Amino acid sequence: MQIFNLLAMTIVFSYIKKTALCSILLFSLASCNDLLDITPPSQVSPENYFNDESHLASYTIARYESVFRTIDGSGGAGLYLDDAGTDNMTNRGGNTRFLPGQWRVGASGGNWDFSTIYQLNYFLETVLPKLETKEIAGSEVNIKHYIGEAYLLRALTYFNKLREFGDFPIIKSVLPDDASALIEASKRAPRNEVARFILSDLDNAAELLMVNSPQGGRTRIIKSLAYLLKSRVALFEGTWLKYHKNTSLVPNGTNWPGQEKDYNSNYQFPSGSIDNEIAYFLDQAMASAKEVASKHALTVNSKVIKESASDPGNLYYEMFASESLNNFDEVLLWRDFDLTLGVVQYWNHYMYYGNGYGYTRQFVDNFLMENGLPIYAAGSGYQGDDFVDHVKIGRDWRLKLFMRAAGEKKAFLGLAAGASPEVEPRVPVIDGAARFQEGTGYSIKKGLSYNNDMQAIVGRDVTGVVAFRAAEAYLNYIEACYEKNGNLDSDASNYWKAIRARAGVNEDYNATIAATNMSIEGQNDWGAYSKNNLVDATLYNIRRERRAELMAEGLRYMDLIRWRAMDQLNAFKIEGIKVWGPMKDIYGNRLVYGGTTTNTVSAPSLSAYLRIHQISPNNQYFNGYSFTQAHYLSPIAANHFLISSPDGQNPSNSPIYQNPGWTTEAGSAPVGL
Amino acid sequence: MRKLLRKMRRRIKYLDGHASSLVKSNFLWMNMHINDPIKGRYVRQLAAPIFITASLMAVSSSVFAQTSSVRGKVTTESGPLERVSVTIDGQRDAVFTNANGEFEIKNSNAKQLTFSHIGYKTVTINLQNSQRNADNVYEVNVVLEPSEESLLDEVVVVGFGTQKKVNLTGAVGTISAKELEARPVQNVSQMLQGVLPGLNVSTQGVGGALNAGRSVNVRGTGTISGSSSGSPLVLIDGTAGSLDALNPQDIESISVLKDAASAAVYGSRAPFGVILVTTKKGTAGQTKINYNNNFRWNSPVLLADMMNSYEFANFWNDADYNGGGSGQKFNAALLQKIKDYVDGKLDPNDVAAIRGDGKWDYDNTWGNVDWVKEYFRESAPTQEHNLSLSGGANQWTYYLSGNYMDQQGLLRHGKDTYKRYATSGRISGKLFDNLRIEYMNRFVRTNYGRPTSMPDDFYDHVLRRARPNRAKYDPNGFLMADINYISAFEDGGRRNDEQDFNTQQFQAIYNPIKDLEITGELNYRTETQFIHEDAFKTYAYNGDGVQRYISLLSPANDYVYEYAKKMYFFNPNVYANYRKRINNHNIALMAGFQSEWNKYRDLDASRRNLITTSLPVLNLTTDATPTISGQVQEWATAGFFGRFNYDYKGKYLLEGNLRYDGTSRFRSDKQWNWFPSVSAGWNIAQEEFFEPLANNISMLKLRGSYGILGNQNTNDWYPTYQVMSNLGTGNGGWLVNGAKPNTASAPGLISTALTWEQIRNWNFGADWAILDNRLTGSFDYYLRYTDNGVGPGLVLPATLGTAVPRTNNIDIVTKGFEFSLGWNDQKGDFGYGARLNLSDNTTKVLAYNNPTNSLDTYITGQYINEIWGYQTIGIAKSNEEMNQHLASLSNGGQTAISGGAWEAGDIMYADINGDGKIDGGANTLDNSGDRAIIGNSTPRYALGLDLNARYKGFDVRMFFQGILKRDWAPSGMVFWGTTSSGEWWSTALKDHLDYFRADESHPLGQNLDSYYPRPLFSGKNQLAQTGYLLNASYVRLKNVQVGYTFNHSALQAIKVSNARIFFSGENLATFTKLNKTLDPESIGIGRQGGTVYPLSKILSFGISANF
Repeated sequence: MQIFNLLAMTIVFSYIKKTALCSILLFSLASCNDLLDITPPSQVSPENYFNDESHLASYTIARYESVFRTIDGSGGAGLYLDDAGTDNMTNRGGNTRFLPGQWRVGASGGNWDFSTIYQLNYFLETVLPKLETKEIAGSEVNIKHYIGEAYLLRALTYFNKLREFGDFPIIKSVLPDDASALIEASKRAPRNEVARFILSDLDNAAELLMVNSPQGGRTRIIKSLAYLLKSRVALFEGTWLKYHKNTSLVPNGTNWPGQEKDYNSNYQFPSGSIDNEIAYFLDQAMASAKEVASKHALTVNSKVIKESASDPGNLYYEMFASESLNNFDEVLLWRDFDLTLGVVQYWNHYMYYGNGYGYTRQFVDNFLMENGLPIYAAGSGYQGDDFVDHVKIGRDWRLKLFMRAAGEKKAFLGLAAGASPEVEPRVPVIDGAARFQEGTGYSIKKGLSYNNDMQAIVGRDVTGVVAFRAAEAYLNYIEACYEKNGNLDSDASNYWKAIRARAGVNEDYNATIAATNMSIEGQNDWGAYSKNNLVDATLYNIRRERRAELMAEGLRYMDLIRWRAMDQLNAFKIEGIKVWGPMKDIYGNRLVYGGTTTNTVSAPSLSAYLRIHQISPNNQYFNGYSFTQAHYLSPIAANHFLISSPDGQNPSNSPIYQNPGWTTEAGSAPVGL
Repeated sequence: MRKLLRKMRRRIKYLDGHASSLVKSNFLWMNMHINDPIKGRYVRQLAAPIFITASLMAVSSSVFAQTSSVRGKVTTESGPLERVSVTIDGQRDAVFTNANGEFEIKNSNAKQLTFSHIGYKTVTINLQNSQRNADNVYEVNVVLEPSEESLLDEVVVVGFGTQKKVNLTGAVGTISAKELEARPVQNVSQMLQGVLPGLNVSTQGVGGALNAGRSVNVRGTGTISGSSSGSPLVLIDGTAGSLDALNPQDIESISVLKDAASAAVYGSRAPFGVILVTTKKGTAGQTKINYNNNFRWNSPVLLADMMNSYEFANFWNDADYNGGGSGQKFNAALLQKIKDYVDGKLDPNDVAAIRGDGKWDYDNTWGNVDWVKEYFRESAPTQEHNLSLSGGANQWTYYLSGNYMDQQGLLRHGKDTYKRYATSGRISGKLFDNLRIEYMNRFVRTNYGRPTSMPDDFYDHVLRRARPNRAKYDPNGFLMADINYISAFEDGGRRNDEQDFNTQQFQAIYNPIKDLEITGELNYRTETQFIHEDAFKTYAYNGDGVQRYISLLSPANDYVYEYAKKMYFFNPNVYANYRKRINNHNIALMAGFQSEWNKYRDLDASRRNLITTSLPVLNLTTDATPTISGQVQEWATAGFFGRFNYDYKGKYLLEGNLRYDGTSRFRSDKQWNWFPSVSAGWNIAQEEFFEPLANNISMLKLRGSYGILGNQNTNDWYPTYQVMSNLGTGNGGWLVNGAKPNTASAPGLISTALTWEQIRNWNFGADWAILDNRLTGSFDYYLRYTDNGVGPGLVLPATLGTAVPRTNNIDIVTKGFEFSLGWNDQKGDFGYGARLNLSDNTTKVLAYNNPTNSLDTYITGQYINEIWGYQTIGIAKSNEEMNQHLASLSNGGQTAISGGAWEAGDIMYADINGDGKIDGGANTLDNSGDRAIIGNSTPRYALGLDLNARYKGFDVRMFFQGILKRDWAPSGMVFWGTTSSGEWWSTALKDHLDYFRADESHPLGQNLDSYYPRPLFSGKNQLAQTGYLLNASYVRLKNVQVGYTFNHSALQAIKVSNARIFFSGENLATFTKLNKTLDPESIGIGRQGGTVYPLSKILSFGISANF
């Protein structure tokens, strides 16, 4: 057939040759291949990229949003709500991690994901050789700075994996799309190795980063941030190893699942023992925390609650409530927003009326008095909690500043002419609809702007968000020092005093320690426990300081897991305001209980305080929060075991092992742990 | 049917002395000798005959008397013709010719006789001009010539030429302009739905929006990669074009090349069929003018019926409470207000309270509005006008046309409009005896306008945000602009999308020697698109009715945005046709070269803060910082092709095609490929042994074809190049120095082995025409293998960190059939016909590397679009029933689906694998848990049914279109109401009211026998399952037409040669088992399982007049 056809074509071509048209055809033949060789005319090939300093800057900045937790996409509230689902904050919902049996192994996906790691490995693998051969145009210090950013971004990405999964594959290069290489790369490195890898990335970052970023001020990574992160990671790993020691959640611990795999079965700690590892990490935490704390002073608290444009300001409050945070040395990284560019956040809009959230009574009670005494201590001067504004009298300024109370004026700037600011009602709105509900009744104020424009309409909030600040380094140092040495050195002491001074609390922490009753603290603060036991009063007060200073900044759950502070949790009931105290007379018939869909409040027989999860009989968390050891780590989704197993069928052939207590079956809850 | 009518009219014209030609195709010339012995005048002779020679002889005598008889004989080229109907003076009754073609009418007053027969042109003889013989008998002998689409002589357009339909060996479907006539729809693709078996047209995107295209495929799924196109190639007069950028009335005919054998000459551009559109040409003779118009009223076929606000609030509260919430999405006080408002106890303006900061508390209003009906109106007008002129003399012909359409959309506030302006001109003629040239210019402009604030997700928002309790006006009478789009639509600026399609075609046909014809074509098309968008801030009012602020749904800034794109398409074709007849051997050869070169560039810019909103111009903004972007893209192809046809006496047919094709989509080592095809046919009816049956069976043909094609239509124009994807300029979300930074990301992986998808195609068919050509039909069965299809890469361990590149790793086969059966008969003035089209196809995965057999992707041996689902036992009527069910599931109950409480009103799923729990297993074929294949969402058995009849001037047509089998597992808020995405991605329609309510004192009444389970903001009752596997089949009355054609004498006075008035309706009735939440044509599209712009029901009338 083909031969015949060709023959036919030949005949026809012989005719065509006699015509003028043949020239067109010949032209076409000759030029065909030129015509068809088209390279992408509007896209840059990888060879033509990373030739200029600015290319590096564009690449790393594109990773910021996914690596640095600030806000959720459209409509969410972001890191400020990350503490909901701990003992600090809640709404009427909760987190299934407190309902053993409800948190289950996913079928696929989850955070066993390497996409950001891939992006950063691609960058480092491509750019480092070009740096070597000086192929990148621009200032060398700037170029190095952006490479330092990439190291830091990879470190923080890995830290998020460490927090969630513990042992994790360490991948430093771009891998081919070849199954066997990828299966090999799926081997989980023991968690302390992951932490050491993160620290080494942060060391590289600290070396390459400049003290001040070439552009963007503190909206871009700076050298101090590498040290802050290093202290966070080292403290996290040091305390994790310490408190989870001998369990299946640490390498070489009892029933550590890594032992099931050849590649980890003979694991040796690089420092020889787990105790040496703990010491190593705590040392690293102290050293790097000091790098930050010694260089960045704390923002001053003027001890004023600004309620009108003419009132004096309070920089400590405004550090969380200003459009630009460039002038706050304490802020190591912040995120800027801009209405005309359409880059906005939503916190103010949702929190202005509460949106159902609030601080827990257990958290509020945990704050010290200005005199440094716990509220229950003799002579504390505590005014009781019959009303929300009473709670704040004589208290730690962090509670005063970052929690709303009756009579306080709300946003007072940006109001229409003649309008006056709203005033927080005498009793919180706990019975309003959706957005207007003040949750526990103790309303969050951190991050709320003075400006009404930010709150009135969704999508108009351009208040800057703090991603990292130096105060954490102070806290990291104090804790690492005490965990390492069992006492506080002079730096630790100074740092602690500085924090307490800024908080408006008596600097003498020893007075507090002396007045602390651990059994009372244990009722309110999960962090009073480690391994199901109450910790000593000094350590507890270090942890209390952390809880107060970092309120609503999204770090609480990280602290609770590293302290192993939830073993004791059993039907823990979250509470809010003392709704059945004198406030009930003001509420009057607004308080309804005992029905189904008409309830606005929990029954007085349960507690004088609002039991937020016991308002509706239908609430999943009605019986309170419990925990199980397996929940300290997340399960890896079932599908990952299959796709990394050479035959695709048997999860146990995968080099990946599941975290303790969890199974490799999708939809299963942890067993035996 | 309509063809016949037209012919009859033409014949009338002829008798009036207006000569007309029936020549339609450039490649088709016919010789028409028309002798009128009375006038002794030779009417006309056209150019040299090639295919069709026919003659008409009308012999009669010339004496006139009161009463007389008529007798005569009707013959054709091939002898006497039986069953020719002979009507007298247009009366109903007719006599028929006998087996010898003879007829006789005795003692009549006949003045006029009309001879008609299917497949032949109707002839009318005026006896007044005839003479009687000595016996006072008129002797009328008539030679009927075959009508243009006589089955045996019908010519269809195929690739680079034409072919007699009877000699076709490939699968080619044809549609003539008349089948598309007077369809009151916007564009050609809408007209094509259901008209031809195997040509599937469906809604896509956002449904019935004015600018929404239709998805067109030939014979179903061709490629499942998602990275290449399985769409057919659309060629308009031989060059690539768009069906939506065409004046439908310029169309003369459409051929659809369905198998590889017929599409092979187009090689890698046409692996999944070709739609060949041929437009109208002029014919020599007196100028013909046609004017027609069409006035139509669109209304929504189906508008979701929203709950009233009281029903809605209860529904919401129930959903919240059922899920463990407090059941107070609307608290008791608000609920009472809502009830009072619905009951009419409140002032109509009493709908909202002022909140603390002075604004209306828009979350907690107590109005009652059916927002769907508020946003979409019941009727929207459209008008269309079309004017064409054609004619010619001295070997030159011309055709000119103009079309104007102004379509209004259904949007009530801030209109949406679509306008089309089209002109075309074609001139063709002879330069020399052996050289003909033709020049054609076609210009189409479309103009789509809509409010700037109505993006595609508006259709979601109508249902999800526009809650019934939200009010239109606040108590002060201002629009509640924070929660309705009305002011943003009306005053927030407009977007106008203007596209110009300008096609120029030059063709030269050269006959250097007899039998050889060389054609050269230069086609050049440009498309320009200009989008202008302006946005103005709109305002909402505070509770005091004085202070206003930029509303929530307003654009945040005033801005102006302009987008401009220009696309160039250049396509030279050179090909030669050679035909030779040697005794009984017919040979045709064709060879040629084709190249296509496509390039576009675009540019857009925007600036903020207008100096004045009355002048939204880029130059006139106070903010000088623009946002600008632009790009250039291109691709090219080149191909050499040839065709060989052979037949022996028209009995044995053989055809071969070969194409050597190159494309810019692949690198030089894989750029070129060979695509051969072969087909053969056997015209059984032409065989000697068949002669005894030939009277009844005029055609019976068997045919078969095989061919291989490649698919170069990758969505990515440079699929083999690794590029820095996502290089963004000023698009970063993390601001630096107060500005959006540039961003960059790693390039995606590219498979180095990426190459052509190869399509192998088998086709077996039969065509027949029996009972004097009254019953015609064809049947095709085909197998289309896509080998080495580009599919999702093998799922790799997550450690890869990026998307697995697509590779040639999937083999599929699409099998199907097409069946078409038509009946046509004419009895005197009464004619009627019917045509049934039925087609089907299924696609099966033959090979795909999915080692885990994960259900998330394709599995070897599975049909595509299979629905995996659970077996539904039913809705538990009580907690006891549910507990009993859960107790029978000892190994975990239904907790794997949801850990929340399972109660009365929830679905009880069946434990089909008997493991004591309900779950999805490992989501693999081997362990699918309690799921099985419960259905398939592929549309099956596509139906088209056309019924028509005409009597004298009246004509009637009904056209049904449907899908006779389709399963659908619904998801999303449109069907379910409340969804797992929460209250902001849920809706409340009347149908959803049939939800489970156990409470005897429920405000909406107890409902234990509900269709829907209890509402939840959770998906646990909404899994794909047998109990909610919908039957999405439907039959829709797509078009009904009633027309009346005025006869010539009535119109003579106003110089109109003929005129037809008609009523035409579209989508008038739908037969479906779906409930009122879903339109069968819009399921599966839109964002939330059917959030679409409603499809339109159309009523129209118009007139078509020829001058």
